[in-house]
Amino acid sequence: MPTSLMINGERRTSNRDPMTPLIDVLRDEFLLTGAKSVCREGVCGACTVHLDGRLAVSCLVPIGTVEGKDVRTVESLAMAGELSPLQQVMEQHDVVQCGMCFPGILMTLTSFFQAQPNAGRDEIKAALVGNICRCTGYERLVDAAVTLTKRS
Amino acid sequence: MAIADPAAVTMNLPRRDARDKLLGRTRFTVDRKLPRMLHAAILRSEAASARIVKIDVTRAKQMPGVRAIALAEDAPGMHGIGIADHPLFASDVIRFYGEQIAAVAADTYEQAQAALRAIEVELEPLPAVLTMAEALAPGARLIHPGWKNYEVLFEGGARGGNVAWEATVIRGDIDAAFARDDVVVVESCFRVGRQNHVSLEPRAVIATYEDGRYHIETSTQVPWTVRNQTAKLLGVPASQVHVTVPPVGGAFGQKFDCTLEPYAAILARKAGLPVRLVYSRQEEMLTCLCRENAEIKMRSAVTREGDIVGREAVVLMDCGAYGGEQIFLTTMTAHTLMGNYKLGSVKAATRAVYTNTAPNGAFRACNGVYNTFALERHTDEICEAIGMDPLEFRRRNVLGDGDLGATGQVFEGDVLGPMLDRMAAMREKSPPKKDLADDRLYGRATVVGTWFVFVGPSAATINLNADGSATLITAGVEIGQGTMVQALPQIVAHELGIHPDDVIVRNADTDAAGFDLGVGGGRTTVSVGAASKAAAAVVRQKILETASELLQTRPEGLVLRNGRVELAGVEGSGMTIAKVVQRAHQVTGPVVGSGSFTNPGVAAMPGCAAGHFIDAIDIPVFNVHDCEVAVDPETGHVEILSYKVVQDVGRALNPRAIHGQIQGGVTQGIGYALHEEHTIGEDGCIRQNSLETYRVPLALDTLAIEIDLYEGAPSIGPLGVKGAGEVPVMNPPAAIACAVANATACRIQQTPLTPPRVLGYLLGREPAVELPHIADNWWDNVLMKRPS
Repeated sequence: MPTSLMINGERRTSNRDPMTPLIDVLRDEFLLTGAKSVCREGVCGACTVHLDGRLAVSCLVPIGTVEGKDVRTVESLAMAGELSPLQQVMEQHDVVQCGMCFPGILMTLTSFFQAQPNAGRDEIKAALVGNICRCTGYERLVDAAVTLTKRS
Repeated sequence: MAIADPAAVTMNLPRRDARDKLLGRTRFTVDRKLPRMLHAAILRSEAASARIVKIDVTRAKQMPGVRAIALAEDAPGMHGIGIADHPLFASDVIRFYGEQIAAVAADTYEQAQAALRAIEVELEPLPAVLTMAEALAPGARLIHPGWKNYEVLFEGGARGGNVAWEATVIRGDIDAAFARDDVVVVESCFRVGRQNHVSLEPRAVIATYEDGRYHIETSTQVPWTVRNQTAKLLGVPASQVHVTVPPVGGAFGQKFDCTLEPYAAILARKAGLPVRLVYSRQEEMLTCLCRENAEIKMRSAVTREGDIVGREAVVLMDCGAYGGEQIFLTTMTAHTLMGNYKLGSVKAATRAVYTNTAPNGAFRACNGVYNTFALERHTDEICEAIGMDPLEFRRRNVLGDGDLGATGQVFEGDVLGPMLDRMAAMREKSPPKKDLADDRLYGRATVVGTWFVFVGPSAATINLNADGSATLITAGVEIGQGTMVQALPQIVAHELGIHPDDVIVRNADTDAAGFDLGVGGGRTTVSVGAASKAAAAVVRQKILETASELLQTRPEGLVLRNGRVELAGVEGSGMTIAKVVQRAHQVTGPVVGSGSFTNPGVAAMPGCAAGHFIDAIDIPVFNVHDCEVAVDPETGHVEILSYKVVQDVGRALNPRAIHGQIQGGVTQGIGYALHEEHTIGEDGCIRQNSLETYRVPLALDTLAIEIDLYEGAPSIGPLGVKGAGEVPVMNPPAAIACAVANATACRIQQTPLTPPRVLGYLLGREPAVELPHIADNWWDNVLMKRPS
C-alpha cells in the first residue's frame, strides 16, 4: 500500500512495504542520502530526521506509520541556498572531519536550539548523547554550537 | 633561485569538503548507485573451527533475483602481509566464527540474503583454539597445519606452530645487566582486549567489470593495496584492476587492507552487472580487524640512581585466524615498548599468534597504544621499587640527541626532554582539579610516548593549467583527516606561489596516480606531501625557465608569488603564471611535473633486529600526556578531571585541524582506556555485536583537551611537518591507567578500566595478570636459536 507524506516540503509517495524503515525510503527511493544508515537500531543517531517537528531516528520508523506526516532531512536545512546559522558555525570553526555523523548532529541541534535557543554548553552536550561521532571527540563542535547561542 | 619562504604558507586553510558534508551532499561509497546495480551479501560461518563437508548452492541459484554466486574456486589466490596465509573464502576448513563461505549477488539485498539461507553447508565441528595461551600450549592443535607451504612475502621472521611471525631484537649484554649486584629487577605483566574502530561508514564497495577490467569504487585507505591484493586473490594481472576512492566516512586503520573488494569484483564479473557490497553494522562488529588483544611480560634491571641497564620483554599479539597486519606490527614493539627511554641493553620478542578468532588488523597507532600503556605502568612500578619520583625518572631517562634506540638507531635532537618542560609549564599554568574529586580518590600522572611516521613510497603528478591553477594527482585518500583538502594544497601552493584554492586535488584513482603505500601511519602529509612537493619543484623550474626567457631575467632573479612570476623584490612586476604557461604551450608544451618519495633509510645497528619490517624509525613522533582522575570508591567509576597534551608536530600548518585530531584521537584513547572492549564467547564469536553492547565515547564522556603543539623537532617532512593524526590516541590508556593506579594504590595491569574492573581492584577481587604461558626464561619463549 503506498504511503503519502511530505518530505522537505514536497509531497511524495512511497511504494515500499509499510514495514520498510523510513531511512531506506529516504535514501534508496528518493535518493536523499544525507541521512546515514549506520547502526540501524536507533543507537547512533546518524539517520536523525525531524518528523512533524520532533526528532526521530529514521531507521526505527516504518514508512507505513508516517502517512500524511511531515519529514525534514539535513537536505532541508539550507533550503534557500544559504547555510543555516548552525551549518555556518560548524564550517567556520573547522570542526568537520569524515562528516558521516554531521547530518544527524545538525538535525539534533537544530531541533534543540528551536526549543532552547539560549542553552549552555552542558545542555548542548547533553542534547548530543544520541549522536555518535567517532572522529571529533565532540568538544570542538560543541564549542562551535556555543558561539551560536552567544550570538543569539 | 629564491628559496620558498615557509612563512608564506597559508595557515589554517578551511576544508573545502566541509560545506557539502554539512549539507548532506557528500557522496560516500555507501551513497552511490549505478544503473542495474546488484546487491551482494556474504554467507559466514557460525562455527569457529570446523571441517567443511559440503557446500551446495543448487537451491540458492534458483532463488528469485539471484544473478551470481561466488565460492572458493573463484578466488584461487592467497593474500597476507609477510605471509600469504589468507584465502578469500574458506574451502576445506573454517578458522573463525564469521569466516566467509560464499557470496551472492541479487537484484535486492533481501533476495541476496534469502539466497544465502538457501545455501546448504555441512560442517564437521573441530575443537577451537580461542586464546593465545591455548594456542601456545604444548601439543596445541595447529590452526594452519600447512604453514610451511605458504608463500613468504617478506623474509626474516621466525615461524612455527601457531606462531605466525616472531620478531626479536637483542642489543647489548643483557645477561650481564641483570646479573649486576647493584640493580633492582622489576617485572610487570599486562593484558589488553580488542578495540573496534566503529567507522561510521562501514566497509563498502561497488564493483563493475567493463572492457576486460575490474573497476572497484571503494571506501579504503589503500587503493593500491586493493588493486594488487584483488588481482592476487583472483589470479588476474594487477593491470586489470582499477580502483577509485570517493570520500571515506571514517577508517582509523580499519580500511588499511583489502577486505571486501574482491567479493564484489568476482560477482560483478560473473553477473556482468555492477555489484554493491556493504557490510552490516553487525558484520562490522564481528569481523572488524580490531586493535588486537595482547599480553605482555616485561622485566627491567634498574640501578638505584635510576639507570635502566637492561630490559627484556615478550609480547603476544593475537592475530586471529590469519596473520594480517599483526605480522607487520611485531616490528613496532622495538620502537614503542622498548622506546621512550635510554636502555643499556635490550631483549624483546614479539609473536603474532594464530587463534580461531576473527582476524585483527591495524587501528590508529596500533600496538603502540597498549605497548605505551604497559611501558608507562612498568615505569611507574620501577619508580615505586627504587623510590624515585616518576617525573624525575622520566626526565632522566627519555631519549635525547645522540641516544641509542632499542635497535641501535641514533636519535637526533632533544625532543622529549623539552616537551616534558612544556608539560610542566602547562601544569603550572592551570591549577590542579583535585577539588572536583570531592570524596573520591584523586590521582594524576604524566606519561610519554614514541610513535613514528610510516614513510615509504608515494608518487605525485602536477599539471599546471593555462589558467594558472594546478591539478595534483596522487593516490591519497581523504578519510576525514584533512590532508587532501588542507596540507597537500598548501604544500603545492607554497612551492608554486599560488593560492591553495587554486590547487585542484584529484580523488585517488590507480589509473591516474602512481603507486602509493596508502593513507595511514601519519604518512600522508609527509610522504604524499613530499612527493607533491617534488612534483611542484619540477613544475616550478619549468615556469622559471620559460619566464626567464620572456622576462629576460635569469631564473635566480625570479620569484613565484601571488600567482605571478616576479622579479625578486619588485612586487607586481613580471607576469602571471597563467601567461607563462600559455607561452610554454607554444614553445615547450604543457607544464607537467612528477615527483616521488620513499623512506630515507635511517640506519639501525646491524644484527640487532630479526624479523622486523622496519629496523629503525625514520621520523619519530613524541607525545607527553598528563591526566587527573577521580575514582569513585563505591562504584569504581573513573572520571577524567583534566587532560593535557604536548604533541610533537614538527611544524603545524593547520593548528585548528591538529587540535581536532588531538581532541578526537584522545577521545578514542579514553574509550579504549575506560570502556571499549570486545570479548570472545565460548563459541568463538565476538560477544558485542552492536553499538548497544560496544560502548564508544558519547558527548557526555568527553572533556576539552588542553593542547600545546611542540614545533621544531627534526623532520624530513615537507616544510618540517610530521603526521599529527595518528599519535593522539597513543597515550590516554597509559596516562589514565597510571593516574588510576596512583589514585587507588592498585597495581593496574589491564584495560579497559570499566567500573566493575576498578571496583574489583579496589576490593582486591581482580585477579592478578600472571601470564604463566610466557616462560620466565626469555629464551624458552622464542623460536630463534640461542647463539652458542
